[in-house]
Amino acid sequence: MRARLAPAARGALPFAALVAAWAAVSRAGVLPAIFLPSPGEVAATAAALLRDGSLWVDIGASLGRMLVGIAASVPCAVGLGVVVGLHRRLAAVLEPVAGFFNALSGIAWLPLAVTWFGLGWASVTFIMFNTIFFLVFFNTLAGVRAVPRLFEQAVRTLGGGRRHVILQVLIPGAMPNIVTGIRLSIGFGWRALIAAEMIATSTGLGFLIFNAQNFHQTDTILVGIITIGALWLLTDRFLLQPLERWTVERWGLVAP
Amino acid sequence: MTLRERLAAWGLLLGGALAAWTLAAAALPVPAYVLPSPAAVLQALGDLVTKGILPFYVLASLRRLVTAALVAAAVGVPLGLLLGMSRRVAEFVHPVLNFFQSVSGIAWLPLMLVWFGFGERTILVAINYTVLFPVVFNALLGVRSVPPLYASALRTLGASRWRIARDVLIPGALPNIATGLRLGLAYGWRALIAAEMLVGAHGLGFMIFSAQSFHLTARIVLGMSVIGALWVLLDYFVLRPLEEATIARWGLVQR
Amino acid sequence: MTPKIAVRSLRHEYVNPFTRERVLALDGVDLEVAPGEFLTVVGPSGCGKTTLLGILAGLVRPTRGEVLLDGRAVTGPGPDRGVVFQEFAILPWRTVERNIAHGLEIRGVPRAQRAATVRRFVELVGLAGFERKYPHELSGGMKQRVAVARTLAADPEVMLMDEPFAAVDAQTRITLQEELNAIARATRKTILFVTHNVEEAVFLGDRCCVLARRPGRVKAMVPVPIPRERRTWTLFTSDPTFDAARQRVLTLVREEVGGQDRAG
Repeated sequence: MRARLAPAARGALPFAALVAAWAAVSRAGVLPAIFLPSPGEVAATAAALLRDGSLWVDIGASLGRMLVGIAASVPCAVGLGVVVGLHRRLAAVLEPVAGFFNALSGIAWLPLAVTWFGLGWASVTFIMFNTIFFLVFFNTLAGVRAVPRLFEQAVRTLGGGRRHVILQVLIPGAMPNIVTGIRLSIGFGWRALIAAEMIATSTGLGFLIFNAQNFHQTDTILVGIITIGALWLLTDRFLLQPLERWTVERWGLVAP
Repeated sequence: MTLRERLAAWGLLLGGALAAWTLAAAALPVPAYVLPSPAAVLQALGDLVTKGILPFYVLASLRRLVTAALVAAAVGVPLGLLLGMSRRVAEFVHPVLNFFQSVSGIAWLPLMLVWFGFGERTILVAINYTVLFPVVFNALLGVRSVPPLYASALRTLGASRWRIARDVLIPGALPNIATGLRLGLAYGWRALIAAEMLVGAHGLGFMIFSAQSFHLTARIVLGMSVIGALWVLLDYFVLRPLEEATIARWGLVQR
Repeated sequence: MTPKIAVRSLRHEYVNPFTRERVLALDGVDLEVAPGEFLTVVGPSGCGKTTLLGILAGLVRPTRGEVLLDGRAVTGPGPDRGVVFQEFAILPWRTVERNIAHGLEIRGVPRAQRAATVRRFVELVGLAGFERKYPHELSGGMKQRVAVARTLAADPEVMLMDEPFAAVDAQTRITLQEELNAIARATRKTILFVTHNVEEAVFLGDRCCVLARRPGRVKAMVPVPIPRERRTWTLFTSDPTFDAARQRVLTLVREEVGGQDRAG
């Protein structure tokens, strides 16, 4: 128990120092309270928002959209990436195309999405799907293409058919790239989500902070920002790192 | 597949896509503003270029991005290197940097709006922030990833700390710095588009956002194509070669 | 005559970062190296030879005891004690010639002089024609040659070598050993060479220091009274004096390998 506590405490220490510095700055009155409320005020606002449930609603909305985006896009993107990657010629031709759409993905689609779906969750979901899909597809494709032909040949000489090649060679071989793609897509997706929520919806953390800006409610803004950062750290620690450990590190692979 | 074959395939793909698109635009029972034809997009291109609007917007957006890149390189790289040199400092700062990197500039935008209002400064602060943190973070990681053996070897040659920083830590961290810059600019470009939409300042993001209010969908598609194309050019011809050059030239392998 | 290197009552303990237990690496090491002597240090795995070298190099501060160079205490690393490491420690982003020149650059030697010295050492280690190559273009043996050249070019008073040929294939290893012999003869430097390979230790050393199993202590010193100019591998395989020394060292090391770790 004591051994587990030490690293957690050590991880929290820098943040404690940061909060202490923040408190000192706001107590010194260098900036007006409306520009930088004290940690105490922010904490009080956070408590209030949690108590009346609105913060939970916003967290739920943002996380929900994130999860839906991942659940819908990742399997499609990986599947498509593998299928396309199987055909070497097709893959060679499509990779730059995927690269272009990859470069385009995210918030740049918003005006078009709003034209088609109007303001609201449909547009935001479209952005999420778009961002995550192309990133994962592109990385999966690159990963599958990078698997040495030798492995495929080895499995075929053992009598493996196409299914074996896909399941036992291509997917494991492309795993580092796939995991990288997923990690990147969550990073970019989260950012696109916050931006889209600011512009196109009325729930979610992005909306929370943009709306608060209208009323100069700086403390609410900071609550939102801290929540966003904290959610990311949690996602990174409890989802992404285990994912990476469970697949890539266990198999002794290194992402190129 | 030879280059010629590939070019032919792309030509075919592009031609086919354009044909399908034109057909869809003409045949589908939707208003013109939902699905503009390729012709309409080209017309918008001609229109905006001759009026000088498109070049103006492109330059405005690029100017902001390049400024952020220069600031990140000039400030972020030395800062990251410095923080990375001491193991204790690096470990202490790591989670905080991770936190601030994950909260993109856009999330800070509302706060910046309160501080600076709806203006250029708000956009610049948000973008510079977005590009800066991945650069600092990766520079720090880069320094930490240099095998201590190299520093030890140089100490036995009598090198001072400054010498070690110059000859070992900085070159050793370069691949990570290149990666950090690439990632930072990728985040930054997207954050820029979003910021321009929200703050309403001239630029590509603003162009496509305001076009939506007037249902000038051809302009939206045009703007999107330019946004995508610019990033592809930047990434493919500048950032990726830079990253690969630092890694490949020295035969270093990333972790 | 003052010994070049003197080690007195050296004791070193450290905490294993993974298991948090205290490990006694060296327990009372005493030895002396005469000027111009080539001393090899050999022993079973874990006997502390690398720790000993690290302390001599000034990269590790011992828990107790002292190390003297020409009677002066060693406090940190420096150009007076050149080190050739086991793993390739030449910088991957510098060419062969820039790596070799590094020590001279640090000392502020002007460029023209540097170039001449570098050329000399490139020839000495047989890398002529490879000056502009990067380490990743070289084989393991060549990389270590660069490392040796770099250390020599910096003209240290003493050379400390930590199993420099361990990561190199057997054929190249023999070649490198013979080359090192020639260099030792030509430069007459004081050399302390750590290895776990008994043949190598006897082939190279004027004396062989056998370390006992953990915690390390000097078990025995075995002289190898064969003049350096006569040392070749052909002789090594046939000469009875060589053979006697080899048998002796081998027996001593075997005793340590078979035994138990002594309690600190």
